[in-house]
Amino acid sequence: MFSNLEFFIIEAFRSFRRSALMSFVAIGIIAVTLVIFGMFILLVINLGNIIGNVSSRMDVAAYVEKDISLESAGALQIKLTNLPGVEKVNFISRTEAWRKFREDFGGKLNLDEVMTSNPLPHTYTIKVKTPEYVPILAKRLSKFDEITEIRYSGQLIDQIKTLMDAVRLGGSVLIILISFATLLIVVNTIRLTVLARETEIYIMKLVGATNSFVKWPFIIEGVMIGVVGGGLSFLALKFSYDAVFLRISTALPFLPLVSDQRLLTMVYLVMIFGGTALGMIGAYVSVSKVLKAEI
Amino acid sequence: MIELVNVSKNYPNSIDVLYNINLHVGKDEFIFVVGPSGAGKTTIMKLLYREELPSAGKVVVDRVNVVELDSNQVPYLRRNIGVVFQDYKLLAKRTVYENVAFALRVTGAPRSNIRRKVMQSLEMVGLLRKANSFPAELSGGEKQRACIARAIVNNPPILLADEPTGNLDPATSWDIIQLLDKINKRDTTVLVATHNKNIVDDMKRRVVVLENGRITRDQQLGTYNT
Repeated sequence: MFSNLEFFIIEAFRSFRRSALMSFVAIGIIAVTLVIFGMFILLVINLGNIIGNVSSRMDVAAYVEKDISLESAGALQIKLTNLPGVEKVNFISRTEAWRKFREDFGGKLNLDEVMTSNPLPHTYTIKVKTPEYVPILAKRLSKFDEITEIRYSGQLIDQIKTLMDAVRLGGSVLIILISFATLLIVVNTIRLTVLARETEIYIMKLVGATNSFVKWPFIIEGVMIGVVGGGLSFLALKFSYDAVFLRISTALPFLPLVSDQRLLTMVYLVMIFGGTALGMIGAYVSVSKVLKAEI
Repeated sequence: MIELVNVSKNYPNSIDVLYNINLHVGKDEFIFVVGPSGAGKTTIMKLLYREELPSAGKVVVDRVNVVELDSNQVPYLRRNIGVVFQDYKLLAKRTVYENVAFALRVTGAPRSNIRRKVMQSLEMVGLLRKANSFPAELSGGEKQRACIARAIVNNPPILLADEPTGNLDPATSWDIIQLLDKINKRDTTVLVATHNKNIVDDMKRRVVVLENGRITRDQQLGTYNT
């Protein structure tokens, strides 16, 4: 095969040039389809990021007995940190909590008239890894004798969990569907370029070309179309995402959009390699179908 | 060289295209297969280079039963058979030289041999000066010569011509038949399907008459009609 590689590449370039309009239409369709695919992936990733960010702010507050010693509180903090799903545990002593309370409300109320002693308990604020852990953690915390009260926003956690599940499931299903649709569009587009050269394939077969000899120039041409289409989709996606990122992060700075360059590069690489693979698969499937129908 | 033994060909829901055909064509023979349109002439050609498979019978080309040939061996069978068409089947976007060279290139022929063989082939058909022309710039006779050059560039032992003069005027038709005769004299078995009465009568070669898928006459030094 490799002795003929030069011929295959020349033939691929020649047919790319000779059916330039068809090739550019195929490139355009691949680029547009991949941009839509990429935009959807970025949307799902960003939605997941926003939800994840909101959920990471979901803390569980655990209040403990007033008379617990600081040593016991320290030991309890270690126990709590080791519980599954716990990311971080902060301890706020009752003295510190009282001082902060007085700072916040001391100017508006005469606290010394109302209270003679500090009424606040020691508090642990527990940060969870994902919101799914919150109800499980709450159940576990209730088994600790020292803990007298647990507070968390149960309904909000449930809603976020449902939303995350929906984004994950819906996102996966839609990505699979869009991938399939993209493949179909690309295969059929390249099929048109192959069908336009049916006579050429017929003659190649007639003069004794083997099937693989017929296929290779088309596959190389498919790869060329895929690489260019994928490359264009990468450029379009990168520049539009950068522009959108700049606008949103200026207008809505609290919205945590994905800016991790490694993750974005992965998405862009999927565009380029996806385009290449689609071009190759499209050409292979199309030329195989034509060959099957041929002599 | 060519042998058809009890060959029949039919398609679902249609009458027999060929029925119980028995035909032997010796090495270096020149044979006309004549008959009206739909008699089965083209089907016989297609059976020989295995574009079609018979419904029954044996098709032997150069001692190989092509019916039993593995599909990946078919390209090698076709390298031994040159085919000439009524509609030429030239690639419009390639020059005459490229059309002929293409037939060699797709068989994986080394590049060093290609130019020499293509030039020899074009010289043989008298088309050297048109090597760089595109098919659209050629007359009908020249297109047919280019098609013949492509068919013989591999030096196949068998040449099949399906209505090679169908689109040509009488003088050009005669030139083309003379060219096929010249190729035959260079140790090539030539099988011509035609309904050009004048040419068949003037050539006085073996004539096989097909009617409704059956051989009705097989005559040495024959004519179109009895």
